[in-house]
Amino acid sequence: MRLLRIAAGTEAVTLLVLLLNLATVHAPGVAAVVGPVHGAAYLTAIVAVLLHDGAPWAARWWAALPGVGGLVAIRLLRPASASPP
Amino acid sequence: MAKVLLAVHVLAAILVVGPVAVATSLFPRAVSSGGGRVTGEATGQQVETAGLLHRICRGYAAVGVVVPVFGIATGAQLGVLGDPWLLVSLLLTVAAGALLGVRILPAQRGLLGAAGERASTAVAARVRTLVLATGVFNLLWAVVVVLMIVRPGSTTGA
Repeated sequence: MRLLRIAAGTEAVTLLVLLLNLATVHAPGVAAVVGPVHGAAYLTAIVAVLLHDGAPWAARWWAALPGVGGLVAIRLLRPASASPP
Repeated sequence: MAKVLLAVHVLAAILVVGPVAVATSLFPRAVSSGGGRVTGEATGQQVETAGLLHRICRGYAAVGVVVPVFGIATGAQLGVLGDPWLLVSLLLTVAAGALLGVRILPAQRGLLGAAGERASTAVAARVRTLVLATGVFNLLWAVVVVLMIVRPGSTTGA
């Protein structure tokens, strides 16, 4: 779960950095390094959800959504009692 | 930039694939009783150790995607993505990942669930199958590493 949190956070932040870079300076060096970081975080989040014991199918599908999929999956994996009202 | 990507790729390959290779290899022995006999009987401590090894395999497997992702990024920067040695390596990596996710990890979980049961030929057979799958898994990585070093057919230098 901790791994999923790290991966999901990295996935979201790196996508933001990539889009900001695209909209502003568009430095190819930034895209070359942050791009693979984002890709790896995205796939790590998906695999982490797939390997999570008893993960609901909804969480598995949501994890595949780029950018915020990991964060959505974390919410879905949280036990019902711990979720905020 | 390719050097940064390559450094991450190699570092991840050593630090992430290494532990999975060791943990998968040790798991069958940890989950079965000692003395080299493969049975379903295991002590509480052995089951605990096997559980830890399984968690290592599972956790590092998820981080493992860093290795092919940065490998592909490096290959793209160097313009060698279409090279046969790289394509074969990618296929073998996919095969190893599938073997781990579809065969080895489920088999480990199944054996952890059966750890409290009495020794039986059925459990022993499952352990042997897992040993075989683990051996093939590690062999696949060995072949990929050799391909990465030898790079047959490559024209981009030693």
